[in-house]
Amino acid sequence: MKRGFALLETIVVITFVTVSLLLLYGTFTNLVDNKRKTVLYDDMANIYKIYYLKEYLELNGLKTMETSDILKLSCDNFNLDSCSLIYDEFSIANLYLVKGNLQDYEENNYFSNFNKYLDSLSYNDKYKYWLIGEFWVEGQYYYASIGVN
Amino acid sequence: MKKGFTILELLISITLISIVLLLLLKIMMSFYYINDSDDYASKDEINRALIIKSVESDFLNYNLNGLKILKENNKTIIDFKLDEKKVMEIKENYIIYNDEKYELESNNAKYDLCVQYTYVDLDDDYYLIKINIPVLINGKNTTVDDDLQFTYIGLKNNETSYQESYAC
Repeated sequence: MKRGFALLETIVVITFVTVSLLLLYGTFTNLVDNKRKTVLYDDMANIYKIYYLKEYLELNGLKTMETSDILKLSCDNFNLDSCSLIYDEFSIANLYLVKGNLQDYEENNYFSNFNKYLDSLSYNDKYKYWLIGEFWVEGQYYYASIGVN
Repeated sequence: MKKGFTILELLISITLISIVLLLLLKIMMSFYYINDSDDYASKDEINRALIIKSVESDFLNYNLNGLKILKENNKTIIDFKLDEKKVMEIKENYIIYNDEKYELESNNAKYDLCVQYTYVDLDDDYYLIKINIPVLINGKNTTVDDDLQFTYIGLKNNETSYQESYAC
């Protein structure tokens, strides 16, 4: 007569428990990621900074710029003495012009944080480009973006 | 015939479950930390977004042309020079703007009545202003994540009048 668990039964139970716990782990990971995104991504104050920057740069040639995927915008792209001043005041580390319906790009050329932010954007034909600001504040990267047509 | 667990099976199952439980604990701790952190005003995130949106919308809809910051004993007043009169009253525990009262709900959080203000001249008669209302936790501004930050880039005209600096 069989009196205890067989190896097969034990493995099945362990597998079941492990899978359940891993699913739970996955759920919590998603919650934490989403929570982190609300803090680091598209903060209301940063969205307005990018909005004003977009409006100002559009007066100074932003709309003439083109890219097939991602263009890193520096102050050299604009004929503005106060460009670097705005970058400093807004704590902008980098500014990117990203194709609105971006499909593929060379991820290795960019920070992993930036790649994660790009993953969170919804690409469509609504906007020709996204203007993405990468803010460096208190040792962390924050991101915010606005559509450009 | 085999009658129960072998020590190896027990060890493997305990190890596996322990690993997963530890991972879960780590995630739950970080979730708790982010959600209910005492280091910043985590319970006021929605109000913060609402205030910023309300103020910035007014800047855009009613053409901001200047402002005056006035600190009194227990409150700070920001008088925005818009097409329509708008005043922000800041007290340690709440802000009143557009007849709406936004109370701080986070533990040990207070608004700093010393508002930070920056005015910068830009090219072609444009200017930039930044206003930062720090949120103090136990008397310290622990992070900018919960601070109320307002920004504006505008074009100067005959009615534009800003104070170029402000010292609390």
